[in-house]
Amino acid sequence: MTRLKSGVMSYVAITIAAVLVAAVPLLSADRYILKVLVYVGVNVIVIAGLALLFGHAGQISMGHAAFVGIGAYTSAYCVGQVHLPWLVGVAVGTALAAAGGFVLAMPALRLRGHYLAMATLGFSEIMYVVFREARGITGGSDGLGGIAYPEVAGFSFDTPVAVYLLVWGVALLTVLLVMNILRSRPGRAMRALHATENGALACGIDTAGLKIRTFALSAGLAGLAGALYAHSVGFISPGTFGLDQSVIYVATVVVGGAGSLAGPVLAAVALTLLPYADALIPGLSRETVAVLQNWETDIYGIAMIAVVVLAPAGIGGLLKRLRSGRAGEAHV
Amino acid sequence: MEAAEFIQYVIAGLKSGSIYALVALGFSVVYASTGIINFAQGEFFMLGGVLSVWFYSLGLPLPVAGIAAVVATAGLGIVFERFALRRQRSANPLVLVIITIGGSMVMKSLARHLFGPDELSLPEFTPGPSIDIVGAAVERQALWVWGLTVVAVLALWWLYRKTRLGHAMRACSISHDAARLMGVDTARVVMISFGIAAALGALGGFAVTPLTQTSWDAGAVIGVKGFAAAILGGLGNPLAAVIGGLVLGLLESLSVAFISSAYKDAISLLVLLIVLFVRPQGLFGSKRREKV
Amino acid sequence: MSLLAVRGLTKRFGGLTAVDGVSFDVHEGSIKAVIGPNGAGKSTLFNLITGFDRPDAGSVRFDDHEITGRRPDAVVRVGLARTFQNTELFEDLSALDNVRIGADLRVPGGFVRSALRISLSVSEVDATERARYLLRLVGVEEFTDSRAGDMPHGTRRLLEIARALGTDPRLLLLDEPAAGLNGAETQTLIEALYRIRDAGVTLVVVEHDMGLVMEVAEEIVVLDRGSKIAEGPPLLIQKDAKVIEAYLGEECADVGC
Repeated sequence: MTRLKSGVMSYVAITIAAVLVAAVPLLSADRYILKVLVYVGVNVIVIAGLALLFGHAGQISMGHAAFVGIGAYTSAYCVGQVHLPWLVGVAVGTALAAAGGFVLAMPALRLRGHYLAMATLGFSEIMYVVFREARGITGGSDGLGGIAYPEVAGFSFDTPVAVYLLVWGVALLTVLLVMNILRSRPGRAMRALHATENGALACGIDTAGLKIRTFALSAGLAGLAGALYAHSVGFISPGTFGLDQSVIYVATVVVGGAGSLAGPVLAAVALTLLPYADALIPGLSRETVAVLQNWETDIYGIAMIAVVVLAPAGIGGLLKRLRSGRAGEAHV
Repeated sequence: MEAAEFIQYVIAGLKSGSIYALVALGFSVVYASTGIINFAQGEFFMLGGVLSVWFYSLGLPLPVAGIAAVVATAGLGIVFERFALRRQRSANPLVLVIITIGGSMVMKSLARHLFGPDELSLPEFTPGPSIDIVGAAVERQALWVWGLTVVAVLALWWLYRKTRLGHAMRACSISHDAARLMGVDTARVVMISFGIAAALGALGGFAVTPLTQTSWDAGAVIGVKGFAAAILGGLGNPLAAVIGGLVLGLLESLSVAFISSAYKDAISLLVLLIVLFVRPQGLFGSKRREKV
Repeated sequence: MSLLAVRGLTKRFGGLTAVDGVSFDVHEGSIKAVIGPNGAGKSTLFNLITGFDRPDAGSVRFDDHEITGRRPDAVVRVGLARTFQNTELFEDLSALDNVRIGADLRVPGGFVRSALRISLSVSEVDATERARYLLRLVGVEEFTDSRAGDMPHGTRRLLEIARALGTDPRLLLLDEPAAGLNGAETQTLIEALYRIRDAGVTLVVVEHDMGLVMEVAEEIVVLDRGSKIAEGPPLLIQKDAKVIEAYLGEECADVGC
């Protein structure tokens, strides 16, 4: 049966991805490449959560970078200032981001599409101001440095390879869990909600609760990504968690294709790598790299408009059409 | 606090308030005709400033440079609507939001490529010392800002009340279907609305550049504040947008006076969130019953 | 004891009273119809009972639960399902998926269990089988894998009924199920309604199609301008003077008497 096959296919895909991920450090110990791939891994976690919220439940968040920032700063503070164990710091960062999502979602999710977008945008901008002004905790616009490497039970992830494997381990696990959610009851409920809220209500779906829980989960994942990012890179500043980054996240999901998970994840990988293309293609001239980095935002913006206008289902839609000729369920 | 100092803050609030009013008007005009929020509205403001600097640097006299910038931005608004938005007329409003977001990203980025990352400035329209109004020092440029805002509001009022186009726009804001039955070319109205919104934003950008400078990313913050002002007044109502802008400007300025300047930007954001959550129709809007 | 007890239900929109103190009972296992000229308040009544609108006065008791003013999803969970006049189907999903989402209501599995795939496989298979059965019950099994948005009008209505049945209701409210159906489709619908009743689901139908109502309904409630003007078996309703006047009035407005 096709449905069974697509389920197995997804697990196979993740296994292959895991093998590839593990293979990279064996092929190259280049710090630069590993660092870039850490960025990719962090973004994959954020995008998985956002694809769930925006792609499936149809709730737009223009402020997801703020949740990443909450996770990052909270974890850095817990480990650095309060001297909590790393795992606890990350857990607190994730929980606080999820709580933030929950609190914002309750009033905000009563709003329609563009109002919700503006509310999340407003929240994002407020958090940016907080990040900038709460110098005691965040170090202000100068940023926060000296963030410790991850450490679990005495084992310190203090090499590029260790950090890379940790981040990607979490990323793959996240994709797996989100995939499972999407393929079962909550995922179907989200798609129902996205299609018609009245119809979903008529099926006994608690749409208000679903929206809030999805938002909180999505925000929590962003916070987790932020915490991992902070401890991988060692230095964070408010600029990383601002509106521009939030818009890039939304653009990534749009380009990847709302309604699938594979599309946005692939888009996250491709778009994050784009300005660092010289990490993958060693022969790339510096001018080309400079152009790619310079025009990064334009590429996002144009890609986003082009996808929406020309191929609304994005990369994910193309994948689906390759795999099976029919329209129908939005599985991974 | 002495009276003079207080008045200074009020003047400052009215100054920024009228800029917010112009941007808010842009949001209102587009929303009234189309029912969507144009996330690129802040970029129109930015383009007005940046383009007028460029035209001026080409040797055009200042007023001509300003007019050219406003016209060019209006044209860009029309082109944007025509090619990016029009085809999506029947689409999910979320899709339209995304397109305007994408448009804003591209405009911002293009501005950075073409005009550089630095702050740009214009000379004052009528150079000279500040004028004393009731004990507060008011820059001459501020008078220009107010004057142009008043002119813009009057022009818009005249457009809506006295011209056929204005009547068509008002018909569209009530119902596209009804308007079409009356023979209104709704597609044209939408396109022109974008042009007007772009012109309003650009006018604000041009007028304020001598005071605050401008740069490629001047649009983002203004966009959010202009939207907060539009929402505060009540979307879709031009007069409400103006009042919303002035009120927001005053709130912001007085918060600097009585709280702290560090969190100044957060004030308008808080206002935005409070209005959205508590009274989405704003001060003057009517409660629209939305089914579930 | 009645399965559904509506007492004094009232709803005002500004100056207009759309539903005015309507009361009636529905007994388990029966088929009841709610009729009335246009604007009588039938759809509003449905919305009040099913939670899509809040009444200004009155109460609704279902199976001895007070459900007045509760949210729509809570009403469904208690066992009262509905369909819509303008079908609210999940257009991009297949017919099977539409019904399955209805069936999901009675299947366990929140976020955590789904993410970790704990004891899911059995219930997933059950829900799918149940969905297939329901599609057969209403008679649209040939469209099982078709996209809902591509299906013909009559089939869409039947699909929405199947989806509502997925939630395992004890009472099903149908809002103008025959609207837009031709003679053959209406007959298919009537046969489906009987099968549903025989499967143990009580039915309340709002309808304009008098043929269907007279054939299917055991009891009829007549509304006119928000108030109940008559209630009883079809033969009595047909002869009721107030009913005739209400409908005749509507016809006269069209034709001119």
